Amino acid sequence: MKFSIFQDTRQGQRRYNQDRIAYCYSRDALLMVVADGMGGHLHGEVAAQIAVQYLTESFQREAKTALPDPFLFLSRGLTNAHHAIVDYSFDRDLPEAPRTTCVACVVQDGVAYWAHAGDSRLYLLRRGQVALRTRDHSRVQMLLDEGMISAEEAMVHPNRNKIFSSLGGHTSPQIDFSRKTPLAAGDVILLCTDGLWGPLDGERIARSLSGTNLALAVPQLMEVAEQAGGAHCDNLSLVAMAWEDGDAPQVISTQTLALDHFTTQMEGLLKSRLPASASDLSDEEIERAISEINSAIKKYSK
Amino acid sequence: MVNQSNQPLPTGYQLDEYIIERQLSLGGFSIVYLAADEQGNPVAIKEYLPNSLALRKEGEIVPQISDENLPAFRYGMRCFFEEGRALAKLQHPNVVRVLNFFRANETVYMVMQYERGRTLHDFIHRNKGQIRESFIRGVFARLLNGLREVHTHKLLHLDIKPSNIYLRIDGSPLLIDFGAARQTLASDQPMLKPMYTPGFAAPEQFRSRDQLGPWSDIYSIGASMYAALAGSAPPPAEKRAERDEMVPAIKRWKEGYSVQLLETIDCCLQLDPLSRPQSVFALQRQLAQRHKRRQPSLLSNLRTKLNKPIW
Repeated sequence: MKFSIFQDTRQGQRRYNQDRIAYCYSRDALLMVVADGMGGHLHGEVAAQIAVQYLTESFQREAKTALPDPFLFLSRGLTNAHHAIVDYSFDRDLPEAPRTTCVACVVQDGVAYWAHAGDSRLYLLRRGQVALRTRDHSRVQMLLDEGMISAEEAMVHPNRNKIFSSLGGHTSPQIDFSRKTPLAAGDVILLCTDGLWGPLDGERIARSLSGTNLALAVPQLMEVAEQAGGAHCDNLSLVAMAWEDGDAPQVISTQTLALDHFTTQMEGLLKSRLPASASDLSDEEIERAISEINSAIKKYSK
Repeated sequence: MVNQSNQPLPTGYQLDEYIIERQLSLGGFSIVYLAADEQGNPVAIKEYLPNSLALRKEGEIVPQISDENLPAFRYGMRCFFEEGRALAKLQHPNVVRVLNFFRANETVYMVMQYERGRTLHDFIHRNKGQIRESFIRGVFARLLNGLREVHTHKLLHLDIKPSNIYLRIDGSPLLIDFGAARQTLASDQPMLKPMYTPGFAAPEQFRSRDQLGPWSDIYSIGASMYAALAGSAPPPAEKRAERDEMVPAIKRWKEGYSVQLLETIDCCLQLDPLSRPQSVFALQRQLAQRHKRRQPSLLSNLRTKLNKPIW
């Protein structure tokens, strides 16, 4: 597989970041996940974390080096993550079960498979346009489908954040699956939370992410969305992947990966709290730290 | 995780230039010993030995660390260094002093000044319900001087509680055990979960660690003052966040303490970080306020005396 991938999450103007994102790939399969935790206060992020962690862990268990059945993987993964969140809230006796949206996508043999619950979206961008996108499990999307409101009205509808399917919570989630979607060179798959797609329209997103270097285009797009989100900007997160994106230096080729090797990027809880070099403290560094401390002691003691 | 407990180094053991006398305390991350230096002066030595990652069995000196735990062990060591680095720069009469730092037995040791005295925790237990306002103001005003110095160095203590407040023989307070400081970094290393003490830790300490700040230590100061009055810790913040059953100081103690002190304690114990005094300085100002009001001028004293009925 050859692709380039980039992910980013921002807190916006909220007090917490309840979004969680991750991607993970083996030699023959790629998983991308985005989850947007809800539940009033603080447990939302736990729900999102459980969903993302559960999916990436099962992926690492099962993708050796390809998944036997990507749809089965997604279906089981999302359902089990739902139960894991419910169990979590039961164990802790939480008054209301935390919930999270979830959109997950597997790419294998040049074919994309995805599933989602809630209003975090997947876009397939092809030749600068939105070729496909997931249909939100939201009241507003229903009204739109029934022709009760227009697309413009939907963008400002007061209930646009109300969703009827999510992982966790008291009711079983409604999970929608894609078709098997073959990818063409240059296609971009974008998974994102409503903080990103809310203030932007699809065309804008498609234009900014097509045919460019994602590592440059994504931060710009995030910036635009955050600006447009204004004073109440929600958490905004995305994972973007460009398929067979030429031979640019940022392109990852998985052919050289060892059979049991996985590369995982998970952001949210881990980001900024655990430095990448956290565990490799060498003997020299230990010695250096000790002498540094001792010289500080000498310097400051009188 | 197997429940294991680490054996302390034996009495008389020669550790670098120090001789171990006895174990003073045992925590999840470390063991603290009383030892003597070459001149025979008492010192306290803290040994980095996280329970869940390293095991010293009976009769052994070098702890066993499995390959699997080594990265986490080393990561925790980084935090231990942070503590050492931070304390090395702090020279304050109300903050414990670090004297030396060295490596031995596959782990690291921090040597600190040993002081005679007892913890505030002991003091509270011996004088349950009889602690006077002047004592509380005296101890905490000086302790806050030390804490201010800590915060000035961009460090949070994060485990202030009566058992980490040491009272020297002369009654002056000393802030000890900075083991939780800076471990904010390690909150997601599952085996190095920050340790906090129920009742004294601010709610943001286990919920939203990105909100930690001087106000988190201030919550613990408030809880410690509350404990000094009550003789026991206030209810844990996570319980309070669900249903607050803590009787505010102002309601619980009508007599014996000034309204101003009680209000200050309640203010420190606000669950919302923003409602607390935002800096040690702000809190010190609040603690100092009453003295201003309660120490009237000589003239007004005379006036009050003269206006009193004669009988």
